Amino acid sequence: MSTTNLTLPDIGEGVTEGEMVAWLVKVGDTVEADQPVAEVMTDKATVEVPAPDAGVIKELVAKEGDVVPIGETLLKMELGAGSAVAASSPAPKAEATPATPSSPTPTTPAAPQAVASPQGQVNIMPPVADSDVLASPSTRRFARELNIDLNTIPGTGLAGRVTRDDVLKVVGNSSAGTSQASSAATPSTVSLPTRTNFVTNAQDERVPLRGIRKKIAENMQMAKRVVPHFTLMDEADVTQLVRIRNQAKAVGEKYGVKVTYLPFVMKALIATLKEFPMFNASIDDDAGEIVYKKNFNLGFAADTPNGLMVPVIKNADQKSLLELSAEIIDLSKRARDGKLKLDEMKGATITITNMGSIGGTYATPIINHPEVAILGMYKMVKKPVYIDGKFKAASVMNYTITADHRLIDGAVAANFLKSLFSKLENPAELMLHMI
Amino acid sequence: MKYDVCVIGAGPGGYVAAIRASQLGLKTAIIEREYMGGVCLNVGCIPSKAMISAASFLDKAKNHSSPMGIEIEGVKVNMPKLKKWKESVSAKMSGGVSQLLKGNKVEIIKGEATFKDTETLMVSSSEGDKEIKAENFIVATGSRPIELPAFPYDEETILSSTGALDLEAVPKKLIVIGGGYIGLEIGSYLKKLGSEVTVLEAGGQLLSGLCDQDVHKTLERSVKKQGLDVHYNAFAKDYKKSGRSVVVTAEVNGEKKEFKADKVLVTVGRVPNSDQMNLKGIGVELDERGFVKVDPRRRTNVQGIWCIGDIAGQPLLAHKASHEGVMVAEIISGENRVYDAKTVPAVIFTHPEIAWVGRTEEEAKAEGFETISGKFPFGANGKAVSLQETEGFVKMIADAKTHALLGVHIIGPEASNLISEAALAMEMGATLEDIALTIHPHPTLGETMMECAEVTLGHGIHVMNQKKRPARSANGSAQA
Repeated sequence: MSTTNLTLPDIGEGVTEGEMVAWLVKVGDTVEADQPVAEVMTDKATVEVPAPDAGVIKELVAKEGDVVPIGETLLKMELGAGSAVAASSPAPKAEATPATPSSPTPTTPAAPQAVASPQGQVNIMPPVADSDVLASPSTRRFARELNIDLNTIPGTGLAGRVTRDDVLKVVGNSSAGTSQASSAATPSTVSLPTRTNFVTNAQDERVPLRGIRKKIAENMQMAKRVVPHFTLMDEADVTQLVRIRNQAKAVGEKYGVKVTYLPFVMKALIATLKEFPMFNASIDDDAGEIVYKKNFNLGFAADTPNGLMVPVIKNADQKSLLELSAEIIDLSKRARDGKLKLDEMKGATITITNMGSIGGTYATPIINHPEVAILGMYKMVKKPVYIDGKFKAASVMNYTITADHRLIDGAVAANFLKSLFSKLENPAELMLHMI
Repeated sequence: MKYDVCVIGAGPGGYVAAIRASQLGLKTAIIEREYMGGVCLNVGCIPSKAMISAASFLDKAKNHSSPMGIEIEGVKVNMPKLKKWKESVSAKMSGGVSQLLKGNKVEIIKGEATFKDTETLMVSSSEGDKEIKAENFIVATGSRPIELPAFPYDEETILSSTGALDLEAVPKKLIVIGGGYIGLEIGSYLKKLGSEVTVLEAGGQLLSGLCDQDVHKTLERSVKKQGLDVHYNAFAKDYKKSGRSVVVTAEVNGEKKEFKADKVLVTVGRVPNSDQMNLKGIGVELDERGFVKVDPRRRTNVQGIWCIGDIAGQPLLAHKASHEGVMVAEIISGENRVYDAKTVPAVIFTHPEIAWVGRTEEEAKAEGFETISGKFPFGANGKAVSLQETEGFVKMIADAKTHALLGVHIIGPEASNLISEAALAMEMGATLEDIALTIHPHPTLGETMMECAEVTLGHGIHVMNQKKRPARSANGSAQA
């Protein structure tokens, strides 16, 4: 076949659809293999979809603004018109195809699994027949056509059979906001109450709840339903920290890095987490187990034009203040530009939300489930503080710790905040915990 | 001119792939060097079934009609006429394939194909050479009988299955080297047609010991009863012709023995035709047994070259090839497919027939399943008794916890037809209850499936149950 359909590939766990943001090519363009052809915004991030192979763009099937389910055709292209494919010499084609490191289909002829596909990057999920999964042949085909790996779906049928409904549940209502009724459904295990008595009038504007906003809605709803939250609030005297940070800021400028308070708070948090491992944990409800995390991956909430995003600094305990500063700046910028990669928003073990630059004395944040705690930091102010019989000017900052009461008792949270404060108020102690 | 798809080999894999490809709007050609329909329709499945049907007819007339009060005298075999009839069956099926291909606008090209490069095929025929270009080649060139160096086929004395299916006369004495399914099928029907048949099997069991052990026991008893002289651990060494007969020397259990016969049938397996067509020359990779290495989509390592059927690996069965043919055609047209069948039914047309899907009890246990199993004998089935076909049973193996079916093994009348229900059950992920609760019509052989499910659950109606009925919880699953 000379023409092929480029379908929206499976771009990440739990992602079922994407919004066509922009075409990066037009009909008639010649593209190389792996050249980005479209920008698609999912409920987690904006991703660039690469061309499966070299060729010429024939038709742009999806329109900008369309919500496209995984597996749906984005464009049609004629393969081989580029430089890569047409090898008329008797040499094996597999060797003539250039290997691109980012290609999911390696071109070495070694393993039979790894052959180059003329259809581009179709995801070969393990056939269900190779596993113990029970599902009828039509359900297996249905799932494959939706690019869903049946092996990962828990079956609700007799003897654990995966039914068509189970597959549909995973897809959720993703197949485009076609009906109002279906957009109330949610792929999460927590079902939402259906509110039917909306009072609407003609001036109201209705827009589909989708993309990042829909994901935020689902996650928040889930967290609030699953996790019994409680929040503890207190004020820390960070006068000494301000001094150190101001010095560090001046040094950081030499490196071209803006040093904020956040990396210091991160370091203090990590040192405190090591004393209170239940804050760096999860509850696995299905297994009935507490999972203590050994990594310190810190999520930090970022306000973006598209809505709330939580980029993650992986292994933050192993990074210097300067490195943390640089990474915070980089991730925040890309979060605002919608350029974060999916795995840069995954795997947090605890989250920090920082409202200091905006205002507000205190908030009661929602935990980023399945984490069990979220640290809030708020606007720093100068206040008179009564110390040793005198009022002194001090820089104070409000903090909140919001915890999952299933795992964390109130007194433990109070001690946690106390320990955190002793590091924030006394940078010398913080230094002792630095790696 | 370039085809979207060029299929090489018009057997049950190739012709099916070509028809589906063309149905999907792909410009399709098919190349065949010998016969439309391949081995299956011409020198395999279909002619052997015709011969088995005739032999069984004769057997019934001779041996089973009298107890029913039907007196038939002077029954004899007119071998040339039988051969002609058998050929007419093949011709009808093969002609049907040509018509279907033409009707679906597949271009049929006769000739011997060789790859010039990965995009070009040379097809030689009496009309000269022709170059064919295609975006996709589906190689479906099948397999051929293994030849033993000491027993080269002359199709006069030393026969392959092809020669044995085409005999002018029933041999008086036949030696079958290899007790696999082809040797047993042909040996059994020739026995019914009047041959004395000796089977030399190198292993300790017929059919390479592949069946469930209960099936093996019944098969071996039945084969003996039919008068086939089976020697196990018997290695045929060589042969000498003496006049019109032939003497085969074999080592049986370490002892040298001689067997006299007028024909020798060698059925020791089949090898893929992967040494042909310059497949290796264009870089197609083979495994250590000569099968082309393919992925779950039946792609080879060379882009644009696909392999299906016998050449792409076990099991060497026509129905697997057809399934792959449809799948590959659909993949080429852009569909998202992989080979995802849970089971390929195996069918052996011995007497009684054998068929199975899924795991044997031994395999299920080895995989770590806690199993329950049950057998229902055809002797307790009214239809089987009225057919005088009471030998054999249906056996089911299921997961002890969920009752999901793990395997079904049938030896008995129409096992080949009965197994399809079991195949569907396996693919659907059915439990024993699903089968037991499906009303099966009475009186039929198919009832044995329902009865066997009941027996396996511990509460059969038409046999005495040996096992205690497992306690059941409210949600329908058994308690340990």
